[in-house]
Amino acid sequence: MASRRLTIAGTVLRRLIAALPAAGFGLASAHRRRAAFARAWRLAFEDLGPAFIKLGQLISVRPDEFSDELVAEMQSMQDAVPPLPAEAIRAVIRAEFAREPEELWATFDDVPVASASIAQVHRATLARAYTPVWGTELPTGTALAIKVVRPGAAESIRADVAIARSLAERVARMRFARRFDPVALLDEFASTVDRELDLRQEGRFADRFTFDFRDDPKVVAPRIVWPTSTARVLTMEFMTGWRLNQLEEARAGGVDCYALAVHGATAFMRQVFVYGRYHADLHPANLFVTPDNTIAYLDFGIVGFLTSEERMNITQVMAALVYRDPERALTYSANLGVHVPADRVATVREGLGELLGGTFRPDGTRDFAHFGLGFLKLLGENNVQIPSGYGLLIKSLATVEGVARALYPEIDIVETAKPFTTRILGQAMGDPARLHERIPAAIRAAMRELVA
Amino acid sequence: MTDDVMRFFAAWMLTHEVADEGLKAAVLRGDEGGADGMSGGPDAFVDGLAAMVAEEKENLKRDLEARARGEKVSIEAEPDPAFEELRFEVGELRGRLDNIESLLETLVRRADAGK
Ligand SMILES: Nc1ncnc2c1ncn2[C@@H]1O[C@H](COP(=O)(O)OP(=O)(O)OP(=O)(O)O)[C@@H](O)[C@H]1O
Ligand SMILES: [Mg+2]
Repeated sequence: MASRRLTIAGTVLRRLIAALPAAGFGLASAHRRRAAFARAWRLAFEDLGPAFIKLGQLISVRPDEFSDELVAEMQSMQDAVPPLPAEAIRAVIRAEFAREPEELWATFDDVPVASASIAQVHRATLARAYTPVWGTELPTGTALAIKVVRPGAAESIRADVAIARSLAERVARMRFARRFDPVALLDEFASTVDRELDLRQEGRFADRFTFDFRDDPKVVAPRIVWPTSTARVLTMEFMTGWRLNQLEEARAGGVDCYALAVHGATAFMRQVFVYGRYHADLHPANLFVTPDNTIAYLDFGIVGFLTSEERMNITQVMAALVYRDPERALTYSANLGVHVPADRVATVREGLGELLGGTFRPDGTRDFAHFGLGFLKLLGENNVQIPSGYGLLIKSLATVEGVARALYPEIDIVETAKPFTTRILGQAMGDPARLHERIPAAIRAAMRELVA
Repeated sequence: MTDDVMRFFAAWMLTHEVADEGLKAAVLRGDEGGADGMSGGPDAFVDGLAAMVAEEKENLKRDLEARARGEKVSIEAEPDPAFEELRFEVGELRGRLDNIESLLETLVRRADAGK
Protein backbone atom coordinates (compact mmCIF):
# COMPACT_ATOMS: atom_id res chain seq x y z
CA MET A 1 0.00 0.00 0.00
CA ALA A 2 2.84 2.36 0.82
CA SER A 3 4.47 1.78 -2.56
CA ARG A 4 1.18 2.28 -4.39
CA ARG A 5 0.82 5.54 -2.54
CA LEU A 6 4.21 6.58 -3.89
CA THR A 7 3.25 5.50 -7.41
CA ILE A 8 0.13 7.61 -7.25
CA ALA A 9 1.93 10.68 -5.96
CA GLY A 10 4.79 10.08 -8.42
CA THR A 11 2.54 9.70 -11.46
CA VAL A 12 0.61 12.84 -10.66
CA LEU A 13 3.81 14.84 -10.06
CA ARG A 14 5.46 13.53 -13.23
CA ARG A 15 2.45 14.51 -15.34
CA LEU A 16 2.13 17.91 -13.72
CA ILE A 17 5.81 18.65 -14.20
CA ALA A 18 5.56 17.56 -17.82
CA ALA A 19 2.75 20.08 -18.23
CA LEU A 20 4.85 23.00 -16.99
CA PRO A 21 6.14 24.09 -20.43
CA ALA A 22 2.63 24.06 -21.88
CA ALA A 23 1.49 26.09 -18.90
CA GLY A 24 4.22 28.64 -19.69
CA PHE A 25 5.82 27.81 -16.32
CA GLY A 26 2.92 29.47 -14.62
CA LEU A 27 3.09 32.61 -16.74
CA ALA A 28 0.55 31.72 -19.43
CA SER A 29 -3.01 32.99 -19.23
CA ALA A 30 -5.11 31.46 -16.47
CA HIS A 31 -7.19 29.54 -18.96
CA ARG A 32 -4.16 28.07 -20.76
CA ARG A 33 -2.58 27.16 -17.47
CA ARG A 34 -5.68 25.45 -16.20
CA ALA A 35 -6.13 23.63 -19.51
CA ALA A 36 -2.54 22.33 -19.43
CA PHE A 37 -2.84 21.08 -15.86
CA ALA A 38 -6.27 19.59 -16.51
CA ARG A 39 -4.74 17.59 -19.34
CA ALA A 40 -1.94 16.46 -17.03
CA TRP A 41 -4.48 15.29 -14.47
CA ARG A 42 -6.35 13.31 -17.09
CA LEU A 43 -3.15 11.63 -18.33
CA ALA A 44 -2.18 10.80 -14.75
CA PHE A 45 -5.63 9.33 -14.08
CA GLU A 46 -5.38 7.22 -17.23
CA ASP A 47 -1.96 5.94 -16.14
CA LEU A 48 -3.28 5.07 -12.70
CA GLY A 49 -6.04 2.83 -13.99
CA PRO A 50 -9.67 1.92 -13.29
CA ALA A 51 -10.30 3.62 -9.93
CA PHE A 52 -8.98 6.92 -11.18
CA ILE A 53 -10.73 6.65 -14.50
CA LYS A 54 -14.02 6.16 -12.66
CA LEU A 55 -13.17 9.06 -10.40
CA GLY A 56 -12.49 11.14 -13.50
CA GLN A 57 -15.94 10.28 -14.81
CA LEU A 58 -17.42 11.39 -11.55
CA ILE A 59 -15.56 14.70 -11.88
CA SER A 60 -16.78 15.04 -15.46
CA VAL A 61 -20.36 15.42 -14.24
CA ARG A 62 -19.54 17.83 -11.42
CA PRO A 63 -19.15 21.26 -12.99
CA ASP A 64 -20.42 22.56 -9.65
CA GLU A 65 -17.21 21.49 -7.92
CA PHE A 66 -14.50 21.58 -10.56
CA SER A 67 -13.19 23.97 -13.19
CA ASP A 68 -14.60 23.95 -16.71
CA GLU A 69 -11.23 22.90 -18.12
CA LEU A 70 -10.98 19.90 -15.81
CA VAL A 71 -14.56 18.83 -16.51
CA ALA A 72 -14.00 19.04 -20.28
CA GLU A 73 -10.75 17.10 -20.03
CA MET A 74 -12.29 14.36 -17.88
CA GLN A 75 -15.19 14.06 -20.32
CA SER A 76 -12.77 13.21 -23.09
CA MET A 77 -11.50 10.28 -21.04
CA GLN A 78 -14.86 8.62 -20.64
CA ASP A 79 -14.51 5.58 -22.77
CA ALA A 80 -10.98 5.51 -24.11
CA VAL A 81 -8.94 3.10 -22.05
CA PRO A 82 -6.11 1.09 -23.58
CA PRO A 83 -7.54 -2.39 -24.27
CA LEU A 84 -6.29 -5.50 -22.53
CA PRO A 85 -5.00 -8.33 -24.70
CA ALA A 86 -7.67 -10.88 -25.59
CA GLU A 87 -5.84 -13.59 -23.66
CA ALA A 88 -6.41 -11.73 -20.37
CA ILE A 89 -10.13 -11.53 -21.11
CA ARG A 90 -10.27 -15.18 -22.17
CA ALA A 91 -8.64 -16.09 -18.87
CA VAL A 92 -11.46 -14.36 -16.94
CA ILE A 93 -14.07 -16.22 -18.99
CA ARG A 94 -12.26 -19.51 -18.44
CA ALA A 95 -12.10 -18.85 -14.69
CA GLU A 96 -15.82 -18.05 -14.55
CA PHE A 97 -17.17 -20.96 -16.63
CA ALA A 98 -14.35 -23.55 -16.76
CA ARG A 99 -14.87 -23.44 -20.54
CA GLU A 100 -13.42 -21.77 -23.60
CA PRO A 101 -15.37 -18.84 -25.09
CA GLU A 102 -15.89 -20.97 -28.23
CA GLU A 103 -17.74 -23.56 -26.14
CA LEU A 104 -20.05 -20.91 -24.73
CA TRP A 105 -20.82 -18.98 -27.90
CA ALA A 106 -20.91 -19.79 -31.61
CA THR A 107 -18.19 -17.20 -32.26
CA PHE A 108 -16.08 -14.95 -30.07
CA ASP A 109 -14.21 -11.94 -31.46
CA ASP A 110 -10.80 -11.29 -29.94
CA VAL A 111 -10.82 -7.65 -31.04
CA PRO A 112 -12.66 -5.64 -28.36
CA VAL A 113 -15.57 -3.37 -29.25
CA ALA A 114 -14.73 -1.05 -26.40
CA SER A 115 -12.48 -0.95 -23.41
CA ALA A 116 -13.92 1.02 -20.54
CA SER A 117 -12.82 1.70 -17.01
CA ILE A 118 -14.18 -1.40 -15.36
CA ALA A 119 -14.94 -3.70 -18.22
CA GLN A 120 -13.97 -4.65 -21.73
CA VAL A 121 -16.62 -5.54 -24.30
CA HIS A 122 -16.25 -8.17 -27.04
CA ARG A 123 -18.56 -9.33 -29.79
CA ALA A 124 -19.86 -12.88 -29.99
CA THR A 125 -22.81 -14.78 -31.45
CA LEU A 126 -25.45 -16.83 -29.71
CA ALA A 127 -24.93 -20.61 -29.99
CA ARG A 128 -28.46 -21.71 -29.05
CA ALA A 129 -31.78 -19.85 -29.29
CA TYR A 130 -32.69 -18.25 -25.95
CA THR A 131 -35.89 -16.77 -24.57
CA PRO A 132 -34.92 -13.70 -22.56
CA VAL A 133 -36.70 -12.50 -19.44
CA TRP A 134 -38.98 -10.29 -21.52
CA GLY A 135 -39.88 -10.24 -25.21
CA THR A 136 -39.42 -12.53 -28.17
CA GLU A 137 -36.90 -15.33 -28.48
CA LEU A 138 -33.36 -14.49 -29.54
CA PRO A 139 -32.58 -16.83 -32.44
CA THR A 140 -29.33 -18.79 -32.87
CA GLY A 141 -26.67 -16.52 -34.30
CA THR A 142 -27.97 -13.33 -32.60
CA ALA A 143 -25.16 -10.78 -32.29
CA LEU A 144 -24.01 -10.48 -28.68
CA ALA A 145 -21.96 -8.12 -26.58
CA ILE A 146 -19.91 -9.82 -23.87
CA LYS A 147 -18.99 -7.43 -21.07
CA VAL A 148 -16.09 -8.77 -18.99
CA VAL A 149 -14.79 -7.14 -15.81
CA ARG A 150 -11.10 -6.35 -16.18
CA PRO A 151 -9.03 -8.84 -14.20
CA GLY A 152 -7.98 -7.40 -10.89
CA ALA A 153 -10.27 -4.40 -11.36
CA ALA A 154 -12.18 -5.13 -8.18
CA GLU A 155 -9.11 -5.52 -5.98
CA SER A 156 -7.15 -2.63 -7.43
CA ILE A 157 -10.10 -0.27 -7.27
CA ARG A 158 -10.83 -1.11 -3.66
CA ALA A 159 -7.17 -0.64 -2.74
CA ASP A 160 -6.93 2.66 -4.65
CA VAL A 161 -10.09 3.98 -3.07
CA ALA A 162 -8.69 3.20 0.37
CA ILE A 163 -5.51 5.14 -0.41
CA ALA A 164 -7.34 8.01 -2.03
CA ARG A 165 -9.61 8.15 0.98
CA SER A 166 -6.75 8.48 3.42
CA LEU A 167 -5.23 11.23 1.26
CA ALA A 168 -8.62 12.91 1.08
CA GLU A 169 -8.98 12.81 4.84
CA ARG A 170 -5.78 14.81 5.11
CA VAL A 171 -6.94 17.30 2.51
CA ALA A 172 -10.21 17.62 4.39
CA ARG A 173 -8.32 18.33 7.61
CA MET A 174 -6.39 21.10 5.91
CA ARG A 175 -9.76 22.64 5.08
CA PHE A 176 -8.70 24.61 2.04
CA ALA A 177 -11.31 22.76 0.02
CA ARG A 178 -14.09 23.86 2.27
CA ARG A 179 -17.03 23.79 -0.02
CA PHE A 180 -16.77 20.19 -1.03
CA ASP A 181 -16.12 17.16 1.04
CA PRO A 182 -13.65 14.84 -0.72
CA VAL A 183 -14.18 12.05 1.78
CA ALA A 184 -17.92 12.00 1.15
CA LEU A 185 -17.29 12.09 -2.60
CA LEU A 186 -14.99 9.06 -2.30
CA ASP A 187 -17.39 7.14 -0.07
CA GLU A 188 -20.19 7.72 -2.54
CA PHE A 189 -17.81 6.63 -5.25
CA ALA A 190 -16.74 3.47 -3.41
CA SER A 191 -20.30 2.32 -2.88
CA THR A 192 -21.31 2.86 -6.52
CA VAL A 193 -18.19 1.08 -7.73
CA ASP A 194 -18.87 -1.87 -5.44
CA ARG A 195 -22.31 -2.23 -6.91
CA GLU A 196 -20.97 -1.92 -10.44
CA LEU A 197 -18.58 -4.79 -9.93
CA ASP A 198 -21.33 -7.41 -9.83
CA LEU A 199 -22.60 -7.43 -13.39
CA ARG A 200 -25.63 -9.58 -12.55
CA GLN A 201 -27.11 -6.65 -10.69
CA GLU A 202 -26.67 -4.53 -13.79
CA GLY A 203 -28.22 -7.27 -15.94
CA ARG A 204 -31.33 -7.39 -13.77
CA PHE A 205 -31.79 -3.63 -14.15
CA ALA A 206 -31.40 -3.90 -17.91
CA ASP A 207 -34.16 -6.53 -18.08
CA ARG A 208 -36.36 -4.49 -15.79
CA PHE A 209 -35.83 -1.47 -18.02
CA THR A 210 -36.88 -3.45 -21.10
CA PHE A 211 -40.04 -4.40 -19.22
CA ASP A 212 -40.77 -0.86 -17.99
CA PHE A 213 -40.54 0.44 -21.56
CA ARG A 214 -42.35 -2.49 -23.19
CA ASP A 215 -45.01 -0.16 -24.61
CA ASP A 216 -42.47 2.23 -26.11
CA PRO A 217 -40.82 0.84 -29.25
CA LYS A 218 -38.51 3.86 -29.43
CA VAL A 219 -36.68 3.08 -26.20
CA VAL A 220 -34.68 -0.13 -25.97
CA ALA A 221 -32.04 -1.81 -23.82
CA PRO A 222 -30.01 -4.95 -24.42
CA ARG A 223 -31.65 -8.09 -23.05
CA ILE A 224 -29.55 -10.45 -20.98
CA VAL A 225 -28.60 -14.01 -21.88
CA TRP A 226 -28.49 -15.50 -18.40
CA PRO A 227 -26.96 -18.94 -18.97
CA THR A 228 -23.66 -17.35 -20.02
CA SER A 229 -23.58 -14.58 -17.41
CA THR A 230 -21.86 -14.42 -14.02
CA ALA A 231 -20.75 -11.69 -11.63
CA ARG A 232 -17.82 -10.88 -13.92
CA VAL A 233 -19.21 -11.76 -17.36
CA LEU A 234 -22.43 -10.32 -18.76
CA THR A 235 -23.86 -11.60 -22.05
CA MET A 236 -26.38 -9.37 -23.78
CA GLU A 237 -27.82 -8.40 -27.14
CA PHE A 238 -25.45 -6.38 -29.27
CA MET A 239 -26.87 -2.93 -30.01
CA THR A 240 -25.93 -1.31 -33.28
CA GLY A 241 -25.92 2.44 -33.45
CA TRP A 242 -24.10 5.71 -33.22
CA ARG A 243 -22.59 7.29 -30.17
CA LEU A 244 -23.60 10.83 -29.42
CA ASN A 245 -20.25 12.05 -30.71
CA GLN A 246 -21.05 10.55 -34.12
CA LEU A 247 -24.20 12.53 -34.70
CA GLU A 248 -23.22 13.77 -38.14
CA GLU A 249 -23.09 10.18 -39.33
CA ALA A 250 -26.34 9.44 -37.56
CA ARG A 251 -28.07 12.35 -39.29
CA ALA A 252 -26.70 11.19 -42.62
CA GLY A 253 -28.10 7.76 -41.77
CA GLY A 254 -31.58 9.26 -41.52
CA VAL A 255 -31.90 9.64 -37.74
CA ASP A 256 -34.32 12.34 -36.60
CA CYS A 257 -32.25 13.86 -33.82
CA TYR A 258 -34.87 16.34 -32.66
CA ALA A 259 -37.53 13.67 -32.17
CA LEU A 260 -35.04 11.45 -30.38
CA ALA A 261 -33.89 14.23 -28.06
CA VAL A 262 -37.44 14.97 -26.98
CA HIS A 263 -38.33 11.33 -26.72
CA GLY A 264 -35.18 10.47 -24.81
CA ALA A 265 -35.74 13.25 -22.30
CA THR A 266 -39.36 12.19 -21.89
CA ALA A 267 -38.26 8.60 -21.32
CA PHE A 268 -35.99 9.80 -18.55
CA MET A 269 -38.79 11.76 -16.90
CA ARG A 270 -40.90 8.64 -17.06
CA GLN A 271 -38.19 6.71 -15.23
CA VAL A 272 -38.02 9.35 -12.51
CA PHE A 273 -41.67 10.24 -12.07
CA VAL A 274 -43.49 7.03 -12.94
CA TYR A 275 -41.17 4.20 -11.96
CA GLY A 276 -38.93 5.86 -9.40
CA ARG A 277 -36.00 3.93 -10.91
CA TYR A 278 -33.67 5.71 -13.25
CA HIS A 279 -30.47 5.22 -15.21
CA ALA A 280 -28.09 7.44 -13.25
CA ASP A 281 -24.98 7.11 -15.43
CA LEU A 282 -26.08 8.65 -18.69
CA HIS A 283 -22.80 9.91 -20.01
CA PRO A 284 -22.68 10.00 -23.81
CA ALA A 285 -20.89 6.64 -24.16
CA ASN A 286 -23.80 4.87 -22.48
CA LEU A 287 -26.40 5.89 -25.03
CA PHE A 288 -26.79 4.99 -28.71
CA VAL A 289 -29.11 6.22 -31.40
CA THR A 290 -29.88 3.38 -33.76
CA PRO A 291 -30.52 3.31 -37.52
CA ASP A 292 -34.22 2.50 -36.95
CA ASN A 293 -34.65 5.71 -34.95
CA THR A 294 -34.64 4.28 -31.47
CA ILE A 295 -32.64 5.15 -28.38
CA ALA A 296 -30.64 2.32 -26.86
CA TYR A 297 -29.70 2.61 -23.19
CA LEU A 298 -26.53 0.77 -22.16
CA ASP A 299 -24.66 0.20 -18.94
CA PHE A 300 -27.05 0.02 -16.00
CA GLY A 301 -24.17 0.09 -13.53
CA ILE A 302 -25.62 2.99 -11.54
CA VAL A 303 -29.34 3.16 -10.90
CA GLY A 304 -31.16 5.71 -8.73
CA PHE A 305 -34.23 4.84 -6.68
CA LEU A 306 -37.11 6.99 -5.45
CA THR A 307 -40.02 6.12 -3.19
CA SER A 308 -43.47 7.36 -4.16
CA GLU A 309 -43.21 9.91 -1.36
CA GLU A 310 -39.97 11.22 -2.84
CA ARG A 311 -41.47 11.27 -6.31
CA MET A 312 -44.30 13.46 -5.08
CA ASN A 313 -41.87 15.89 -3.46
CA ILE A 314 -39.72 15.99 -6.57
CA THR A 315 -42.79 16.71 -8.64
CA GLN A 316 -43.45 19.69 -6.40
CA VAL A 317 -39.87 20.93 -6.68
CA MET A 318 -40.20 20.63 -10.45
CA ALA A 319 -43.45 22.58 -10.32
CA ALA A 320 -41.62 25.20 -8.23
CA LEU A 321 -39.10 25.49 -11.02
CA VAL A 322 -41.90 25.94 -13.51
CA TYR A 323 -43.69 28.55 -11.35
CA ARG A 324 -40.40 30.12 -10.21
CA ASP A 325 -41.49 29.77 -6.63
CA PRO A 326 -38.50 29.53 -4.23
CA GLU A 327 -40.70 28.99 -1.18
CA ARG A 328 -42.26 25.91 -2.70
CA ALA A 329 -38.87 24.59 -3.78
CA LEU A 330 -37.52 24.91 -0.24
CA THR A 331 -40.57 23.38 1.44
CA TYR A 332 -40.51 20.27 -0.70
CA SER A 333 -36.72 20.01 -0.74
CA ALA A 334 -36.92 19.88 3.06
CA ASN A 335 -39.18 16.83 2.72
CA LEU A 336 -36.40 15.29 0.64
CA GLY A 337 -33.86 15.77 3.41
CA VAL A 338 -32.41 19.16 2.46
CA HIS A 339 -32.45 20.93 5.80
CA VAL A 340 -31.49 24.57 5.70
CA PRO A 341 -30.58 25.93 9.15
CA ALA A 342 -33.00 28.61 10.32
CA ASP A 343 -30.44 31.43 10.16
CA ARG A 344 -29.66 30.61 6.55
CA VAL A 345 -33.16 30.27 5.18
CA ALA A 346 -33.43 33.90 4.08
CA THR A 347 -30.07 33.82 2.27
CA VAL A 348 -30.86 30.54 0.55
CA ARG A 349 -34.33 31.68 -0.45
CA GLU A 350 -32.95 34.83 -1.96
CA GLY A 351 -30.22 32.95 -3.84
CA LEU A 352 -32.78 30.46 -5.05
CA GLY A 353 -35.05 33.25 -6.26
CA GLU A 354 -32.19 34.66 -8.31
CA LEU A 355 -31.42 31.25 -9.76
CA LEU A 356 -35.05 30.66 -10.68
CA GLY A 357 -35.19 34.02 -12.41
CA GLY A 358 -31.96 33.45 -14.27
CA THR A 359 -32.46 29.96 -15.62
CA PHE A 360 -33.39 31.07 -19.11
CA ARG A 361 -31.04 31.03 -22.06
CA PRO A 362 -31.06 33.78 -24.65
CA ASP A 363 -33.29 31.63 -26.86
CA GLY A 364 -35.92 31.47 -24.10
CA THR A 365 -35.42 27.81 -23.17
CA ARG A 366 -34.80 26.89 -19.57
CA ASP A 367 -31.32 25.93 -18.47
CA PHE A 368 -31.77 23.13 -15.98
CA ALA A 369 -28.08 22.50 -15.39
CA HIS A 370 -27.63 26.15 -14.48
CA PHE A 371 -30.46 25.91 -12.00
CA GLY A 372 -29.72 22.45 -10.60
CA LEU A 373 -25.99 22.82 -10.23
CA GLY A 374 -26.39 26.39 -9.02
CA PHE A 375 -28.78 25.12 -6.37
CA LEU A 376 -26.30 22.45 -5.21
CA LYS A 377 -23.58 25.09 -5.08
CA LEU A 378 -25.83 27.44 -3.12
CA LEU A 379 -26.60 24.71 -0.59
CA GLY A 380 -22.90 23.87 -0.33
CA GLU A 381 -21.97 27.50 0.31
CA ASN A 382 -24.49 27.62 3.12
CA ASN A 383 -23.20 24.42 4.70
CA VAL A 384 -26.34 22.47 3.96
CA GLN A 385 -25.82 18.71 3.76
CA ILE A 386 -27.03 17.40 0.43
CA PRO A 387 -28.63 13.92 0.63
CA SER A 388 -26.80 11.73 -1.87
CA GLY A 389 -30.00 10.70 -3.68
CA TYR A 390 -30.94 14.34 -4.23
CA GLY A 391 -27.52 15.18 -5.63
CA LEU A 392 -27.61 12.13 -7.88
CA LEU A 393 -30.98 13.08 -9.33
CA ILE A 394 -29.98 16.67 -10.03
CA LYS A 395 -26.74 15.53 -11.63
CA SER A 396 -28.63 12.98 -13.70
CA LEU A 397 -31.15 15.56 -14.87
CA ALA A 398 -28.34 17.92 -15.77
CA THR A 399 -26.60 15.15 -17.69
CA VAL A 400 -29.79 14.22 -19.51
CA GLU A 401 -30.15 17.84 -20.46
CA GLY A 402 -26.59 17.86 -21.76
CA VAL A 403 -27.17 14.68 -23.73
CA ALA A 404 -30.49 15.89 -25.12
CA ARG A 405 -28.95 19.22 -26.09
CA ALA A 406 -26.18 17.42 -27.91
CA LEU A 407 -28.94 15.89 -30.04
CA TYR A 408 -30.92 19.07 -30.34
CA PRO A 409 -29.50 22.34 -29.00
CA GLU A 410 -32.81 24.16 -28.49
CA ILE A 411 -34.51 21.53 -26.34
CA ASP A 412 -36.06 22.67 -23.05
CA ILE A 413 -35.74 19.82 -20.60
CA VAL A 414 -38.14 21.25 -18.02
CA GLU A 415 -40.76 21.28 -20.75
CA THR A 416 -40.54 17.51 -21.08
CA ALA A 417 -41.20 17.11 -17.35
CA LYS A 418 -44.44 19.09 -17.48
CA PRO A 419 -46.85 16.45 -18.70
CA PHE A 420 -45.60 14.21 -15.89
CA THR A 421 -45.82 16.80 -13.17
CA THR A 422 -49.27 17.81 -14.41
CA ARG A 423 -50.42 14.22 -14.41
CA ILE A 424 -48.97 13.39 -11.01
CA LEU A 425 -50.32 16.51 -9.34
CA GLY A 426 -53.65 15.87 -11.05
CA GLN A 427 -53.63 12.33 -9.73
CA ALA A 428 -52.87 13.57 -6.23
CA MET A 429 -55.86 15.90 -6.49
CA GLY A 430 -58.04 12.91 -7.27
CA ASP A 431 -56.52 10.67 -4.62
CA PRO A 432 -59.22 9.99 -2.01
CA ALA A 433 -56.74 10.11 0.88
CA ARG A 434 -55.53 13.54 -0.14
CA LEU A 435 -58.98 14.84 -0.91
CA HIS A 436 -59.92 13.81 2.57
CA GLU A 437 -56.99 15.82 3.89
CA ARG A 438 -57.89 18.89 1.96
CA ILE A 439 -61.63 19.18 1.74
CA PRO A 440 -62.55 21.40 4.64
CA ALA A 441 -64.46 19.85 7.47
CA ALA A 442 -67.51 21.94 6.68
CA ILE A 443 -67.84 20.47 3.22
CA ARG A 444 -67.36 17.00 4.65
CA ALA A 445 -70.17 17.63 7.06
CA ALA A 446 -72.36 18.88 4.23
CA MET A 447 -71.58 15.77 2.23
CA ARG A 448 -72.48 13.57 5.17
CA GLU A 449 -75.81 15.34 5.26
CA LEU A 450 -76.36 14.67 1.59
CA VAL A 451 -75.38 11.01 1.74
CA ALA A 452 -77.23 10.23 4.95
CA MET B 1 -54.51 4.44 -11.08
CA THR B 2 -53.76 7.64 -12.95
CA ASP B 3 -55.83 6.36 -15.84
CA ASP B 4 -58.74 5.59 -13.57
CA VAL B 5 -58.71 9.11 -12.22
CA MET B 6 -58.47 10.54 -15.72
CA ARG B 7 -61.33 8.30 -16.82
CA PHE B 8 -63.35 9.47 -13.88
CA PHE B 9 -62.80 13.11 -14.74
CA ALA B 10 -63.50 12.34 -18.38
CA ALA B 11 -66.75 10.60 -17.57
CA TRP B 12 -67.75 13.50 -15.40
CA MET B 13 -66.92 15.89 -18.18
CA LEU B 14 -68.82 13.86 -20.74
CA THR B 15 -71.96 13.89 -18.62
CA HIS B 16 -71.55 17.60 -17.98
CA GLU B 17 -70.65 18.41 -21.55
CA VAL B 18 -73.44 20.83 -22.20
CA ALA B 19 -73.57 22.25 -18.74
CA ASP B 20 -70.11 23.56 -18.02
CA GLU B 21 -69.12 26.40 -20.31
CA GLY B 22 -66.35 27.46 -17.92
CA LEU B 23 -64.64 24.12 -18.25
CA LYS B 24 -64.89 24.22 -22.04
CA ALA B 25 -63.20 27.59 -22.05
CA ALA B 26 -60.47 26.16 -19.81
CA VAL B 27 -59.92 23.32 -22.24
CA LEU B 28 -59.60 25.76 -25.12
CA ARG B 29 -57.08 27.82 -23.17
CA GLY B 30 -55.25 24.66 -22.14
CA ASP B 31 -55.06 23.47 -25.74
CA GLU B 32 -53.75 26.79 -26.91
CA GLY B 33 -51.19 26.78 -24.13
CA GLY B 34 -49.92 23.56 -25.70
CA ALA B 35 -46.93 22.08 -23.97
CA ASP B 36 -46.55 25.35 -22.10
CA GLY B 37 -49.66 24.61 -20.07
CA MET B 38 -48.04 24.93 -16.68
CA SER B 39 -45.70 27.86 -16.89
CA GLY B 40 -48.43 30.44 -16.53
CA GLY B 41 -49.14 29.60 -12.89
CA PRO B 42 -51.85 27.63 -11.14
CA ASP B 43 -54.64 28.74 -13.49
CA ALA B 44 -52.73 27.62 -16.52
CA PHE B 45 -52.08 24.35 -14.75
CA VAL B 46 -55.78 23.76 -14.27
CA ASP B 47 -56.37 24.63 -17.93
CA GLY B 48 -53.68 22.17 -18.96
CA LEU B 49 -55.20 19.46 -16.82
CA ALA B 50 -58.63 20.20 -18.23
CA ALA B 51 -57.25 19.83 -21.75
CA MET B 52 -55.76 16.46 -20.85
CA VAL B 53 -59.05 15.31 -19.38
CA ALA B 54 -60.80 16.50 -22.54
CA GLU B 55 -58.52 14.31 -24.58
CA GLU B 56 -59.38 11.35 -22.36
CA LYS B 57 -63.03 12.23 -22.79
CA GLU B 58 -62.74 11.89 -26.55
CA ASN B 59 -61.24 8.41 -26.00
CA LEU B 60 -64.09 7.53 -23.71
CA LYS B 61 -66.62 8.72 -26.28
CA ARG B 62 -65.00 6.58 -28.94
CA ASP B 63 -65.00 3.61 -26.58
CA LEU B 64 -68.68 4.04 -25.80
CA GLU B 65 -69.52 4.23 -29.51
CA ALA B 66 -67.35 1.20 -30.21
CA ARG B 67 -69.02 -0.70 -27.41
CA ALA B 68 -72.41 0.17 -28.88
CA ARG B 69 -71.24 -1.40 -32.14
CA GLY B 70 -70.13 -4.45 -30.17
CA GLU B 71 -66.38 -3.91 -30.75
CA LYS B 72 -63.54 -4.24 -28.28
CA VAL B 73 -62.65 -0.95 -26.60
CA SER B 74 -59.21 0.49 -25.96
CA ILE B 75 -59.28 0.36 -22.18
CA GLU B 76 -60.14 -3.34 -22.29
CA ALA B 77 -57.73 -4.14 -25.11
CA GLU B 78 -54.85 -2.93 -22.95
CA PRO B 79 -53.12 -5.75 -21.13
CA ASP B 80 -53.74 -5.93 -17.40
CA PRO B 81 -50.65 -4.41 -15.67
CA ALA B 82 -50.86 -6.78 -12.70
CA PHE B 83 -50.86 -9.74 -15.05
CA GLU B 84 -47.92 -8.36 -17.02
CA GLU B 85 -45.98 -7.70 -13.83
CA LEU B 86 -46.50 -11.31 -12.81
CA ARG B 87 -45.40 -12.52 -16.22
CA PHE B 88 -42.25 -10.44 -15.88
CA GLU B 89 -41.52 -11.87 -12.45
CA VAL B 90 -41.85 -15.37 -13.82
CA GLY B 91 -39.47 -14.44 -16.64
CA GLU B 92 -37.03 -13.02 -14.11
CA LEU B 93 -37.17 -16.18 -12.01
CA ARG B 94 -36.53 -18.25 -15.10
CA GLY B 95 -33.51 -16.05 -15.87
CA ARG B 96 -32.18 -16.63 -12.37
CA LEU B 97 -32.68 -20.37 -12.66
CA ASP B 98 -30.85 -20.40 -16.02
CA ASN B 99 -28.06 -18.52 -14.32
CA ILE B 100 -27.83 -20.81 -11.30
CA GLU B 101 -28.05 -23.91 -13.46
CA SER B 102 -25.05 -22.81 -15.49
CA LEU B 103 -23.16 -21.99 -12.29
CA LEU B 104 -23.86 -25.52 -11.09
CA GLU B 105 -22.54 -26.92 -14.37
CA THR B 106 -19.37 -24.90 -13.94
CA LEU B 107 -18.89 -26.23 -10.42
CA VAL B 108 -19.37 -29.82 -11.57
CA ARG B 109 -16.94 -29.27 -14.43
CA ARG B 110 -14.36 -27.85 -12.03
CA ALA B 111 -14.80 -30.72 -9.61
CA ASP B 112 -14.34 -33.21 -12.47
CA ALA B 113 -11.24 -31.41 -13.68
CA GLY B 114 -9.83 -31.47 -10.15
CA LYS B 115 -10.11 -35.27 -9.88
N1 LIG C 1 -24.92 -4.30 -25.60
C1 LIG C 1 -23.99 -3.59 -26.24
N2 LIG C 1 -24.01 -3.44 -27.58
C2 LIG C 1 -23.07 -2.72 -28.22
N3 LIG C 1 -22.05 -2.09 -27.61
C3 LIG C 1 -21.96 -2.18 -26.29
C4 LIG C 1 -22.91 -2.94 -25.53
N4 LIG C 1 -22.57 -2.84 -24.22
C5 LIG C 1 -21.47 -2.08 -24.17
N5 LIG C 1 -21.08 -1.67 -25.40
C6 LIG C 1 -19.94 -0.82 -25.73
O1 LIG C 1 -18.97 -0.95 -24.73
C7 LIG C 1 -18.76 0.29 -24.04
C8 LIG C 1 -18.49 0.05 -22.56
O2 LIG C 1 -19.57 -0.66 -22.00
P1 LIG C 1 -20.14 -0.23 -20.59
O3 LIG C 1 -20.49 1.20 -20.61
O4 LIG C 1 -21.23 -1.17 -20.26
O5 LIG C 1 -18.86 -0.51 -19.69
P2 LIG C 1 -18.37 0.21 -18.35
O6 LIG C 1 -17.05 -0.33 -18.02
O7 LIG C 1 -19.43 0.07 -17.32
O8 LIG C 1 -18.25 1.68 -18.80
P3 LIG C 1 -18.17 2.95 -17.91
O9 LIG C 1 -16.83 3.50 -18.21
O10 LIG C 1 -19.28 3.78 -18.44
O11 LIG C 1 -18.35 2.54 -16.49
C9 LIG C 1 -20.00 1.10 -24.32
O12 LIG C 1 -19.76 2.48 -24.27
C10 LIG C 1 -20.36 0.64 -25.73
O13 LIG C 1 -19.60 1.32 -26.70
MG1 LIG D 1 -20.27 2.88 -19.84
